[in-house]
Order: sequence, then C-alpha cells, then structure tokens
Amino acid sequence: MAIAESAEYFPPVEMARPRRWRTLRVLARKKIAVAALAYLVVFYGCGLLAPLVAPYDPNEQPRPLTLELRKAGPSGEHWFGTDDLGRDLFSRALYAARTTIIFTLVVLLTGGVFLGLGLGLLAGYRGGWVDTLIMRVGEVLGGIPTLILMLAITASFRTRIDDLRFWLEDHTWLGRSDAESLVRFTIIVLATLPFAWIGSARIVRSQALAIRESTFVLSAEAMGASTWRIVTRHILPGVLPLFIVGLSAGMASIAGAEVALSFLGLGVGPDTPSFGSLISQGAGPYTFQTWPHLLLAGAVPVVLFFYAWNLLGDALVDILEPRTQAPR
Amino acid sequence: MGPGLTGYIIRRLLWAIPVLFILSVVVFWMLRLAPGDPIESRLGKAYTPEAAARLREKYGYTQPIPVQYVKYIKNLLQGDLGVSTRHPDFTAAEIILPKMWVSTQIGFFALLITFALGIPVGVYAALARGTFVDPMVISSWLLLDAIPAFVLVPMAQWLFALKLGWVGLRYEGVYTMNMVVPVLILALPGVAGVARLMRASVIGVMGEDFVRTARAKGLRERTVVVTHITRNALLPMITVIGLSLPGIAAGALFVEQLFGIPGIGRESLEAVTAPDFDVILALVLFSSFLFVMANVLVDVVYAFIDPRVRISSGRG
Repeated sequence: MAIAESAEYFPPVEMARPRRWRTLRVLARKKIAVAALAYLVVFYGCGLLAPLVAPYDPNEQPRPLTLELRKAGPSGEHWFGTDDLGRDLFSRALYAARTTIIFTLVVLLTGGVFLGLGLGLLAGYRGGWVDTLIMRVGEVLGGIPTLILMLAITASFRTRIDDLRFWLEDHTWLGRSDAESLVRFTIIVLATLPFAWIGSARIVRSQALAIRESTFVLSAEAMGASTWRIVTRHILPGVLPLFIVGLSAGMASIAGAEVALSFLGLGVGPDTPSFGSLISQGAGPYTFQTWPHLLLAGAVPVVLFFYAWNLLGDALVDILEPRTQAPR
Repeated sequence: MGPGLTGYIIRRLLWAIPVLFILSVVVFWMLRLAPGDPIESRLGKAYTPEAAARLREKYGYTQPIPVQYVKYIKNLLQGDLGVSTRHPDFTAAEIILPKMWVSTQIGFFALLITFALGIPVGVYAALARGTFVDPMVISSWLLLDAIPAFVLVPMAQWLFALKLGWVGLRYEGVYTMNMVVPVLILALPGVAGVARLMRASVIGVMGEDFVRTARAKGLRERTVVVTHITRNALLPMITVIGLSLPGIAAGALFVEQLFGIPGIGRESLEAVTAPDFDVILALVLFSSFLFVMANVLVDVVYAFIDPRVRISSGRG
C-alpha cells in the first residue's frame, strides 16, 4: 500500500493553461468517472453533514440492551443493522465517513500540498544535491513497507498519549474525550505524513524540471525576477494540473492508512467511529457467516470510496496523458 | 557496461549510505523515546522494579541514546542485528530470517500470478483502446485493488472454507491447498496496477515506426502483437518487477495475520506491539536495504538488456 506507487507513470507533460476546462469536459464524457464523482459527492455530503443526516447518535446504546437489539440485521429502523452494543451502524458509518474526510483533508493539506508541492518544487527548481537528497529519501521511504513503519511510529507515540492528553486538558479548553481524540488523531496523521508527500513531490519535481528549462523561465530570470516569483508565477501554474491528478490517485491510499491503523486498534479513539474499527468488529469467517452485516456496514461504503477515487484518478491520468488516450 | 554506468551505479550505492543512516537514526531515536516498554511487556506479571532495572542494564537501555546508537551500529557492521526482548534466547536475525523465507515463497507465487495476469490484461486493454472494453477491463480489476485485505480475507475464508469447504483455515505449510486462497488474495489486487502500466507501455510502442514497418511488410497481426509490440512493451516492466521484489520479503501483514501464516508481516506486527526494539530496527533497515539494492539492480539489468540506456546513463 505504498502511497507513492501511483506516481510512477506520469511522464513530464507540458501543460497549457486553456486545457483546464477541456479536462473537465472530457471527464464529463467518461461515464465511469461521472459515476465515481457522483458517489464521492454523496459520500462527502453524508460525511460532512453526519450530525444532521444520522438518524441516531453514533455512540447511543439502547437501554435496556436486550438480546434482540444486539447485532440485529438491517431493518427499516436500522438500515445497516446494529452492532454488538446495539448502536446504529448506519449512523456509525456516517460518522466514520466524517473521520475519513477530516483525516484525508489534513494529510492532503500538510503532506500533499505543503510537503509534496513544496519539496517537489524545491527539488525540481534548485536541482543539484538538494534534489538528489530529497528524491533519494523519498525513494527509500516509498520502498520500505509503509505499514510497518507507520505501526512503529504509532506504537512509539502511543505511550505518550496520556501525557499529552493531560497536558491538553490542563492547558486548553478541550475536554477529556476531545483531548484524547485530538492526540490520537495527530499521531496517525504524523505516522502517515512521511509517506504522503513522496508521490506528489515526484510528479511536481519532474514537471518543474521540464518547465525550468523553458524560455519563459529563462527570460523571467534574465529580467531579474525573484526566485519566489518565478516559482509561484511561472512554474506553479504548469505543475498544478498533474499535481491534482497525483493527489486524486493517492487519495485511496491515504484514507486506507487510517482505516488500516484503526482496524488494528491503533487509530482514532474508541469513541470516534472509523471504518477500520467498524470492519474489525465483523472481521472473521465465523462472524461473517452469522452476522454478515457487521462487516459489510463498514466495508461497502469505504471500499466504494477507495474505488471511486481510483477510478477518478485513472480517468484523469488518461485525459492528461494524451499518449494513452483513445483516438477520436 | 561503460565507465559511465559503473560510476552511476557507484554513485547510487554511495547515496544509499546517508539515506540508510538517516533512517536508522530516526527509527532508533523514535523507538527509544517510548520509555521502558519492552522490559515491562517482557516481564508481564513478574514485573518488579528491581527485575526491570536489572534487565534494562543487561540490554543497555540505561545508557544515553547516542551511546546506545553507536554501539548498535558497531554491532550491525559486524553482522550482529541485536537480540529479541520477547525471545531472549534468539538473536533478531534468527527470528527474522526463517519467517522472511516463508513470506518470500508465498510472495513469489503471488507476484508470479500478478504479472501472469496483469501483462496479458494490459495488452488486451491496449489493443481494445477506443472501445468500451478498454476502460471496463481495467476498472473491474481496480475494484479488487480497492478492497482492503482485512475485508477480503474474512469473506474469502467464509466462502471457500465454511460454505464450499474446499480449503481449511489452518496454516499447514507453504505448499498446501490451504495456501491457495491467501496467495490469490495477495496476487489479485496488484493486477490492475500492472495492467495499467502494461497498457500505457503497449500504447506507447504501438505508435513506433518499427511496428508500422512490421505491418507494412505483411506480417500476421499475431506476430506483430506478440514479437514486436509486447516484447518491446515489456521493457519498462523490469522496473516494476524489480521494485516489487523487496516487497515480497517484507511480507503481507494482514493476510499473514488473518490466515495464521508465520511470516515476516505477522512478525513485524508482533514486534511493533510488544515492542521489540532490535527486531523492529532490523526489519526496517533490512527491508530498506533490500529496496535500495533492488533499485540498483534494476538499473544494471536495464543497461544489459537495452543498449540505449547505456549511452544516456548520466542521469541522477
């Protein structure tokens, strides 16, 4: 599940500005991409509006908790059924979608945009040993088994969870459970970050390398434009289209990191629903035989989420790389 | 192999040293910052402050971290990867190597299936370009790529073991029927990625002049596709194959855990949750070392197979 792997096949392509709208038009013509986009709109809508859409409180347990209320199959009352504690799985899945959305957004902004775009531009524009160092570190980080190092990072920070939580409780306005959620959330973000920048940095770098050689950059340099101006005004616009494609292709693996860590019980706290912890309740052949809804309630929405991003990324790659396009 | 290439390979190998150094420092510090845990989990119910202190002394955890690190590197250079805190009678290498061998065998078969399926699927999709078949083929394989192993495994176990009764759930060795399902679960998700790369590569080759020449001189379409297009399109796949090789030695965490396979993926999960410092370090360093080597190997293989690379080997 290397976050970087999808970046291998983006050869440097010179992008002209007016093609931006063409991209959207071509995208709209692809039925698969439209279907993927439609699902993502629903997913993001439900996730962001979870408190409004959810029919129940995700942590609410029925009282008294009778046997019929536990692990009940899907019904009109509980669309996805209920879990071991009688909690509504549909509501939990909606809140899990919210966790996924927040997590991917944070990692995308910090790892993808800040580190990925930043280091990629630095490597591509500066070149030399800076470039070599950044790309070699990325190469090795991309090559080692991501999950193992992520586990190591999470495990070594976990012993500090309580320390940090108490500190946050004492020094900020955060309450007990909010503080714990925040700390746990930060840990998994930190564990994902070392791997989240590699793919986008690679794309940005190869683009920046190509654009740096173009005559308009040379003339800007000759006119004495500052490095900042050249990078933001001349290189960045050319880099952005493929950068966005790279981000969309990497979305599934970023979201997957949180799901995998939560599945192992190392992710977000027990009070915060996550697809990983939902799935872990139903994982196991015997559990699946008796109560298939326990696994499916978490698995189906998140698998479709991964699938939609993969399909969208695939369609975008196809559009932006004319060489592999269908003749028309 | 010209002097340019040799120099290039040496430069690549030299770059591996600082990168591995940085990685080892970071992982070492990170693990040591989690205070005293391996001892506590090792002792379990027998925990007393005195016993813990004695063990910490024995493993050298009382020394300052930089001193520990220098000691570790010194031992590492002599081939000593340290000892496990979970199994005090074994060194880290003794624990890792047999498990790595199990994972490598399973991973090898999985990789074989991935490429045996992915390459023809990619060629097929490329030849069907412009029809609805092309996007459909890749998209349907992408679905398998989207299902996490920990979702696929329980469902497959239920279907093939409980419902159909074709296989058992227990691990009984690498070369048994029970390993068919885990190997397939490891292999199938990767097909989409290989097929996608192969498709792009085939489409690139299809536009080359020599393909037009082959068609113009009246060769059968089958010959053109197999010997002219596919053979040349396979060239970039060397990178993909080469870079997947170190991954199979790293094992598959979820598949091994859920099928009870005593491989390196399962071992790393146990080592991390314990935690077992020297085993984790050995795992991370060993797999990054394998990866760096695979990178260099790919470059060398390229230079041998494709003479065009030899001329322009100055990159990097």
